[in-house]
Amino acid sequence: MPYNIAMVSDFFFPQPGGVESHIYQLSTKLIDRGHKVIIITHAYEGRTGVRYLTNGLKVYHVPFLVIYRESTMPTVFSFFPIFRNIIIREEIEIVHGHASLSSLCHEAILHARTMGLRTVFTDHSLFGFADAASILTNKLLKFTLSDVDHCIGVSHTCKENTVLRASLDPLMVSVIPNAVVAENFQPLALHKNSNSYPFAARPAPLPPQHLGPHDTITIVVISRLFYNKGTDLLIAALPRILAADPHVRFIIAGSGPKAIDLEQMLESRVLQDRVELLGPVRHEEVRDVMVRGHIYLHPSLTEAFGTVIVEAASCGLYVVCTRVGGIPEVLPPHMTTFAKPEEDDLVAATQKAIAALRANRIRTEGFHEQVKKMYSWTDVAERTERVYDGITGAISEEEFYGDVSGGGWSATRGRAGVQSFALIDRLKRYYGCGIWAGKLFCLCVIIDYLLFQLLEMLAPRANIDICRNWPKKAGKGERIDEEGDEATPLRMARSRASSRRKGRLR
Amino acid sequence: MLTTRPHLTALRPSPTTVSYTVSTASRRETLPSQLLHHFLHSLRIVLGLATLAAVLAKFFDYLTYLPLSWSDYIDKAPWSRVGPLAFASFVLVFRRFHTEESLLILRSLGIQTSTLSPSYLLPSNTRFIPTSQIRDIFIHEAFKGFEVRYYLAVVVEGEGEVVVVFPNLLPGRAIVEEVWRGARECLYEPKA
Repeated sequence: MPYNIAMVSDFFFPQPGGVESHIYQLSTKLIDRGHKVIIITHAYEGRTGVRYLTNGLKVYHVPFLVIYRESTMPTVFSFFPIFRNIIIREEIEIVHGHASLSSLCHEAILHARTMGLRTVFTDHSLFGFADAASILTNKLLKFTLSDVDHCIGVSHTCKENTVLRASLDPLMVSVIPNAVVAENFQPLALHKNSNSYPFAARPAPLPPQHLGPHDTITIVVISRLFYNKGTDLLIAALPRILAADPHVRFIIAGSGPKAIDLEQMLESRVLQDRVELLGPVRHEEVRDVMVRGHIYLHPSLTEAFGTVIVEAASCGLYVVCTRVGGIPEVLPPHMTTFAKPEEDDLVAATQKAIAALRANRIRTEGFHEQVKKMYSWTDVAERTERVYDGITGAISEEEFYGDVSGGGWSATRGRAGVQSFALIDRLKRYYGCGIWAGKLFCLCVIIDYLLFQLLEMLAPRANIDICRNWPKKAGKGERIDEEGDEATPLRMARSRASSRRKGRLR
Repeated sequence: MLTTRPHLTALRPSPTTVSYTVSTASRRETLPSQLLHHFLHSLRIVLGLATLAAVLAKFFDYLTYLPLSWSDYIDKAPWSRVGPLAFASFVLVFRRFHTEESLLILRSLGIQTSTLSPSYLLPSNTRFIPTSQIRDIFIHEAFKGFEVRYYLAVVVEGEGEVVVVFPNLLPGRAIVEEVWRGARECLYEPKA
């Protein structure tokens, strides 16, 4: 059953990043599965208005004031008129918000519930509970997630974190990991092969690499140089690793506020000839940097998922990483060595990894195929689709939530685990958010509801043009088979007519 | 009452010429609307003539001979008060309440866009684009105020910005698509 889905987040291209590419890849795969997907984000410099990306992915860059690190001003209600317009003209049924730091996403979920739509929220990051900023963010998250239909975390750690931060029923949080486009992260030999013999049915299995005791081992680090990415740990551990083994080199790519500290350390210890600093690299260049090394070192202090270590393993690198956040869930044990996030343990783990490589105890040549089997965006899209099925009631509660005796956990949950849209039920859910916050949130929801009624009067639905859909690709994918079925002649006729019309439009 | 939602009228005097007009003027299909229209027009004429008469009379000092109850008031009032009042009255008389925008397409010559001015006295705002300068005609969407609207635009060679057709009315998708198709058919000869 195809849905019309709107992905909402402050973070989208042209800005580079993990959330951005997650949204893009997921949307593309959902479109391939026959859904209609649009993306709503704020305007970036030189990019305002409506744009189309590959495969008819439509992006609305809503003009808004950006305050801090590409996040928009949290203006709760000012986004509603334009959001309502987009939702109606695109006939959206499900609103899917991404990233807990994006106020656009929170607002969209609130408004979507007011308009009576299903909502999903994907959390991409972990947060603490102690400092003032986290408390504020968590309160805001609790506000929006009080009335969301379903949540998605990128790892089990992320799920746990979200459940605690927003006091959610753990049943309504699913775990769907990130994925990588394995074709873009091929190990060196494989890549060469596929270039020279583009029509070869199957690349020959890689010859296992043999490293002697005096061969140079290159360790790659690609990360933004921030405190939370563990740059300080790297700065402390790096000279000790280099001192222990004279045949080790480092390649470090990335930029950030800690770059200065790193350079200072290199200069004071005179290690420039053994450590290569590349500065910022573009995402499509990451593979070319990775294949130059044997070990990927990931010293991060907090990480919800860590896509980069999957990319590294896909490139055939052995991974040394800290045991924090969602990282231990990501790769099987034979691809990784874990360390505690402290200097001594990280040095020891790296040395262990180097020794294992030199003893040829690790066969990295199979990593690529294994990662390819474990992580694919098609799989992510399928699992996300199941979440959509669950919240719209297309699959039953038992099937979606598993067999839970006692049924729904929350008193306000309606039929089949689907959150009721009635204003009074919604208010009940928000009221439980806190002594003061609960009342404040209720006030916000009531104002939002009144605003919605006002907009229905001022800008009636009848006056809003319904968008033309992007023509579906013919001759590929399962939807076409479905349309060939005699049971759906109406839809077939409709789609043929629309493709004819579109043909003239093009 | 006086205006409606934008509606389209197409005129095809010859196969190579077509004119599309989008207007908000009331279509006057029913008798009451026709009566209202005529009534408003007569009201305009009466108001216009009355204002003219009053101004002329005050100018030539004839007001004392006019048998009207307010002639005294106008006679005593200074020009600084009568002037603006008369001006406002004339603006109202010549005011056009509906908006009308049109697109005229002449094969091998070009296209002309025009917008009627809000007053019957001012000329309409037109622009002619010769065929040689037209790169493309397309439909796209854009943010306008608190909504997303469709618009029809012409890409003109050597200009950084496109020319939006029907820039004030911005009619809906159905109208825009019809005009777009007609314009393409008329502007470029159909393929054999």
